[in-house]
Amino acid sequence: MEQQVIELHNDLITLCKMGDQDAHYRLYKLYSKGMYNVAYRIVGNEDDASDALQEAFISAFRNLDSYRADATFGAWIKRIVVNKSITALQRRKFEPIPENDRWDVAEEEMPMAYADELTVDRVKKGIEQLPDGYRSVLSLYLLEGYDHQEIGDIMGISESTSKSQLNRAKAKLRELLNGKL
Amino acid sequence: MKDKMEEFIRQNRNAFDDREPSEKVWRNIKASLSFGEKSWFNNVTLWRAAAIIFFALSVYLIIPKGILISKSESISSREFRDVEEFYTQQILNKVKLIHDYTNNEGLNGFTHDFQQLEAMYLVLKEQMNVSPSDKVKDALVLNLLVRIDLLNQQLHSLEKEVPSKEEEQPETSI
Repeated sequence: MEQQVIELHNDLITLCKMGDQDAHYRLYKLYSKGMYNVAYRIVGNEDDASDALQEAFISAFRNLDSYRADATFGAWIKRIVVNKSITALQRRKFEPIPENDRWDVAEEEMPMAYADELTVDRVKKGIEQLPDGYRSVLSLYLLEGYDHQEIGDIMGISESTSKSQLNRAKAKLRELLNGKL
Repeated sequence: MKDKMEEFIRQNRNAFDDREPSEKVWRNIKASLSFGEKSWFNNVTLWRAAAIIFFALSVYLIIPKGILISKSESISSREFRDVEEFYTQQILNKVKLIHDYTNNEGLNGFTHDFQQLEAMYLVLKEQMNVSPSDKVKDALVLNLLVRIDLLNQQLHSLEKEVPSKEEEQPETSI
């Protein structure tokens, strides 16, 4: 099944390389929703997410010849979307990390109880309230599946900074979910 | 150990992708990539359609025509083959008869005429293979008939000649 999906995508990519407009649209439709959500979680608003999505697809379609089938198209376009989103974030400057958060937070090791039952909506709202830097690292790690080395490369920070940012982001999110903030 | 929140996010990963991009995004992408006047040239569907039309046209122009030609060819060739077989056999029989009569002495002036007719026959036969027509077929049949006529004449004169030889040398006939 997965192989069939990859082959279907490779067929579409071949048609795109030949200039087929319909193939471009079909490829865009396959990935646009997922990629828009990736961008939105990093930039935190619809306008910047739309711009990042648009720039990423234009860049991907113009550089399809440099796409190598050793990575899936999904992973390739996601990396472009993430890069465009981080650039957008840097353009408008990161929200500064609160002064009292500038220390390392230890990884939470014990399961933690939450005041109310977790729901997708509550967690989403909590993530959206996080400062840009925290939200980006937490999204890239927990939702997009990148490891700390990859996050370090994407965001131009060290692996250890990525780890400590994630710990702080999770701590902040827990506080938000427990209504402490 | 992963806490409850991290576990919850991983288990409900797909539910976090609930936002839809605006249609405007695709319109802008399309405009930027300038699919337009130039795109028809790169349109694979269009090229496929063109290839199919070209193929169909080729089949119409070449294959049916080829079948018609080969049909007329085969009728004409079959008729000719039968005639040729009949006369060729006659010629061979007569040549053999003359050969026996002359007893390996050669056919003198007759041989030269006969060889010329044979050479002409080969040229006509080649023409028949390249572009078969009734004219060529008639010429070939005429060539065969002339050769038979020539052979008949030769046989006739030999038949006259041989008894006189036999008369001169009666001891050799027994």
